[in-house]
Amino acid sequence: MEVFVTFLLNLIYISATLALIALGLAMVFGLLGVMNMAHGEFVMLGAYSVYVVQLAGQHFLWAIPVAIVICVMVGWLMEWLVVRHLYSRPFDTLLATWGVAILIRKGVEVIFTRDYKSVNQVMPGTIDLLGVSYPAYRLLLVALIIVLFVALFTWYQKSKAGLKIRAMVQGPELAAAVGIDTARLSRLTFIIGVSTAGLAGVLLAPLVRVEPYIGLDYLMSSFFILIVGGLGTLEGLLIGSTVIGGTDAIVSTVFDKTAGYMSVLLISILFLWLRPDGIFYRR
Amino acid sequence: MVSSIGVKALLLAALVAVPFITSSYTAYQLGLYILFGIVGQGIVLCWGKGGFLPMGQALFFGIGAYISGTVLKSDPSWGVVLLAVLLSVLVPGMIAGIIGVLVFGRKIGSGLYFSLITLALSLLGYQLANSQVWLTGGFNGMTGIKGLPGIDSFGSLYFFIIGALVFSTCFLAYLIRTPFGQNLEAVRENEERLQFLGVNTSRIKAAAFAISGGVAGLAGAFFAPHQGIVTPQVVGFILSAELVIWTGVGGRFGLAGPVIGAVLIGFLASGLRDYFSFWEVVVALVFVIIVLRLPGGIAGLAAAYAKKIGMSLDTFRSSPRDEQILSSPTNSQPRLEFKNVSLQIGPVVILDDLSFEIVDRGIHCLIGPNGAGKTSALNVLTGKLAHNSGKITWCGQPLEGMQPFRMSGLGIGRKLQVPSIFPELTIRQNIDIALWVNRLKFGNVLSMRPYRWHKALKDRLERAFPFLIDAEVLAGKLSVGQRQMLDFSMTVLAAPDLILLDEPCAGLSKAETETMISAIADLAKSSKATFIIVEHDMQVVELLSDHVLVMHQGRLLAQGSLEQIRANPEVRRVYAGGSK
Amino acid sequence: MKRRDFIKTSMAAAAFTAASQGNIFSAMAAPKLKVGVMIPLSGPAALFGPSTKNVAQMAAEKINSGGGILGRKIEILFGDAGLPPAEAAQTALRMWRGQGCEAFVGMHNSAVRGAYNNVFKGQVPYVYTPNYEGGECANGVYYVGETPAQSVVPTMKWLAGEKKLKKFYLIGNDYNWPRDTNVIAKKTISELGGKVVGEEYMPFTVDNFDSSLAKIKETGADMVLITLVGGASVTFNRAFASFGLSDKVIRLGTLIDENTLLGIGAENSKNIYSAASYFANVQTNEAKAFAKEYAKKFGSKAPVLNALSGSAYDGLIALDTIAERAGSLSTKKMDSVAEGSEWDSPRGRAKMSNRHLTLDIYLATAIGTNFKIVKTFSRQDPGNFCKA
Repeated sequence: MEVFVTFLLNLIYISATLALIALGLAMVFGLLGVMNMAHGEFVMLGAYSVYVVQLAGQHFLWAIPVAIVICVMVGWLMEWLVVRHLYSRPFDTLLATWGVAILIRKGVEVIFTRDYKSVNQVMPGTIDLLGVSYPAYRLLLVALIIVLFVALFTWYQKSKAGLKIRAMVQGPELAAAVGIDTARLSRLTFIIGVSTAGLAGVLLAPLVRVEPYIGLDYLMSSFFILIVGGLGTLEGLLIGSTVIGGTDAIVSTVFDKTAGYMSVLLISILFLWLRPDGIFYRR
Repeated sequence: MVSSIGVKALLLAALVAVPFITSSYTAYQLGLYILFGIVGQGIVLCWGKGGFLPMGQALFFGIGAYISGTVLKSDPSWGVVLLAVLLSVLVPGMIAGIIGVLVFGRKIGSGLYFSLITLALSLLGYQLANSQVWLTGGFNGMTGIKGLPGIDSFGSLYFFIIGALVFSTCFLAYLIRTPFGQNLEAVRENEERLQFLGVNTSRIKAAAFAISGGVAGLAGAFFAPHQGIVTPQVVGFILSAELVIWTGVGGRFGLAGPVIGAVLIGFLASGLRDYFSFWEVVVALVFVIIVLRLPGGIAGLAAAYAKKIGMSLDTFRSSPRDEQILSSPTNSQPRLEFKNVSLQIGPVVILDDLSFEIVDRGIHCLIGPNGAGKTSALNVLTGKLAHNSGKITWCGQPLEGMQPFRMSGLGIGRKLQVPSIFPELTIRQNIDIALWVNRLKFGNVLSMRPYRWHKALKDRLERAFPFLIDAEVLAGKLSVGQRQMLDFSMTVLAAPDLILLDEPCAGLSKAETETMISAIADLAKSSKATFIIVEHDMQVVELLSDHVLVMHQGRLLAQGSLEQIRANPEVRRVYAGGSK
Repeated sequence: MKRRDFIKTSMAAAAFTAASQGNIFSAMAAPKLKVGVMIPLSGPAALFGPSTKNVAQMAAEKINSGGGILGRKIEILFGDAGLPPAEAAQTALRMWRGQGCEAFVGMHNSAVRGAYNNVFKGQVPYVYTPNYEGGECANGVYYVGETPAQSVVPTMKWLAGEKKLKKFYLIGNDYNWPRDTNVIAKKTISELGGKVVGEEYMPFTVDNFDSSLAKIKETGADMVLITLVGGASVTFNRAFASFGLSDKVIRLGTLIDENTLLGIGAENSKNIYSAASYFANVQTNEAKAFAKEYAKKFGSKAPVLNALSGSAYDGLIALDTIAERAGSLSTKKMDSVAEGSEWDSPRGRAKMSNRHLTLDIYLATAIGTNFKIVKTFSRQDPGNFCKA
């Protein structure tokens, strides 16, 4: 029983965090068709924001505005200098953003060196839940992510900006014709996308290691989720993260972690091959 | 004018001379980068020529290296070594081929899916190489690999690597020039068009990918004796990404590009990284700029410069067209049947129980107001759209779920409304591709013979459209009207029994329209083909049609001769009242 | 003064000057001995590069102040060993054949060592400094890092006795060093009458350890032997503590250095033990002097000393000692006299035995983000891998 509850909580936690990490990439890829290889680097920037805020002796929550300011700035620069020139060239976007990823990584290395930076726990200790003691901050994080997703879903469905974005996705020419500034909207989408990645970095920082090269891990996980869950819908994102997180958790529990990792890779390959609509669900 | 053969000979001589004029370790270093460059040449074939980007090419390189390493550990004889090299080429080549067939066969195009699959496979390979210690030696690597028998890895092995480079360059250069290579470039330019012409594009892509895998394996075969150790990094994602970067920076459109890229970045990195630990920043910056502004990479710049100083790099010789080929005889009477065909997309009914039959040769015009479903009827016929219910048959053969390229085998050819050609290829190449339809077989696809094929119809078309004679002009440089004519010429050169033309005169000037109409009329008279033309322009219909079908709201409203149609009260009502 | 005397004295003076100058010239004429020091400057291990770079310079100064190696002052050239083996080998070859390095000291992983072995082929002395899985005895190569037999066996035995440990869980990254270490660990555990309740190997890319932590909890392990490296170790240990496991379960690692501990963080480091041949906090006189000099030279913000930089320092001292003993840099001569070479270093007294070192091993426990030595196991035997 205890084992099962722990497993279940782990599954919820991993699915929620994976969805949070992949959210930005899903937005940018799903809405703009841009495979942003620097996605993980924005998560990394978010995590370093926490480190900086902590170094300055400020409260953890200050890291959120700091991360958003940094991500908006870097994202805006990146969109303006690189991405906007490549919107209809998927391979080139992929390659150019890969180059940008290296630049961001190296930039952080120049400032902070390669050292591991330790971020203090925000809510240390565990909470007893259904007879299992589970890390308190993880539970808080899961709750936060659920709230965030509900809010985002409502915004996308109900707000004017959400409507415009949906219009742009379904027909860029038409959207432009009815007076939507698609260039501006694309930039906005890109910046919001990378900022959510930064936010994910802030929220995860107390739990993970912080060093300049963590971005790659997050890019890969996000990647697998998009492949399985498909794009265009938040539901798909949640399904994708549950499938990926679940497969990994189950196989790792039954066999070992290597098998878990390989099964995630295999599932991704199978989805890419057999259900590519999962990934590119655009009308 | 400097000859390009001279330049190539000079380059080769320089490569051979490296160990003598510099040190042996420089040559050793160069050898490694050349091996990476060879892998990049395979990427050129896929990415530069075929338009699909493989992102896990290190996988095939690594498989080759592990195979050759395993064999070389046992200190084998030359015979066994040759066998090992062969295996190092064939095994990765076959694996790539199988992946290609499976992936491309699924109609998912050559977009990001393919790239992502190869990337994931490379990750998988890395994990396997790490954990299957019994096979690969694990993370610490497969060690104790001896050099080729009697060959000093730090000395004469270099010349073998140069040999491999020459082989791969010549082989790929030849391949690119064959009809196979030209079709591969056509895939990059316009895959859909090629499919409507009847070419199985997924097979071409799979073959190109297999070859790129084999080439990577060849480089891997020499990597093992060169290094004496093979570690999992050689199959990994980082090397895969680097290979793409080297190819992109060096230039992805030619075989020299990846070698230039790998060698240049290799030496730059090894020179800089011990003093300047942020050398990667420089490489990344250059790479981003190249992606943004210089798709041809360094080789592209060099070629542009060479052209400026009057050097011709392209040693193209046009072959005489001295082998007459005949159109396949039209043996049967046409019989196209639409039976209760319905198509609905979302809430919109597009075809509503559409039924008609065409059993006579000649020109059939399909008319009707906007939104009547004319183009959609052609789309379900050629499999571009899947209809929800009903049956479509051609000469008794059901056409459901058939891939577009198979249609051509049945004698159905189609020209889309927007002129659809291969813009980066010349007029001659566009025409050739059409001439080859249904005639390229395994036996001649890799020979130069198809370039000599000729068809009387081609002369006739050149008389009708004189601009076609200027064969070395890039098709992308033609006017819209000329593109329509080229597209039309390609469609009919493919010699279908049933020719589907979607508004062939759209976007043409008055004079061009006249040219086009007379060409179609001329062809209809001289060939035995059946034409179905979707048309708006009643003048065109008047001049061309033997038989008219009128569609309205997804149904067939009337059919008959133009006079009969004109007399039909229902048709009059629809046209008078607009599209009600 | 008589003219003749004057000539005499001035001639003598001139002769003396000439002679002394001659001496100076001959001393200067002996070209500097270039030593290639191969350390990770890029890649995941680059984190360990800076402190190693510093100690290598300190070692060179020490050797040079004692007259250099074989009467020649040494000059250190750094090369990047953090690359994939193929590229790392290129660098080593260039430094050897192109820049004229006559000896090498390397701190890097075993894959790169394999590539170097293949380049050097025993023709140039090469000291391999970090701890590794053991098992090798190549010509011209001297291994000064500790092997699992030295670090794992005594520390595990002592901890098991001290803390009454019975159930052991082994977790490491999926490659040779953890697997080979665990072979020895399992033998030790069975000797102790303990039980291995889990053994797991993680891919390098893994950043989630939940399933392993659940297993650790479920099996009721009272000790976890960690052979995860670098970032994986940091992530694992942080998650370990967040689940509240750190109060009950002892963690022992043989590659948890000062940097890794900083990444793990003070809140998460309770009951972490680390076994190594050197820690920045070793309290012997020699080690204290060394740490003091390091701080003086490179400032208080210098990259922290750790087991890897400690053994890299020893690598240069080993090179000096063995070469002097052989009177030559020929690997044949060095190989023949290496056995029994002895010297003192910040790590303690070291003695070469079958190309490896008999060493003092320290067991330290984490106090916040610092290590405190709790026990010293002196003169541990490295095992013999040189049997034919």
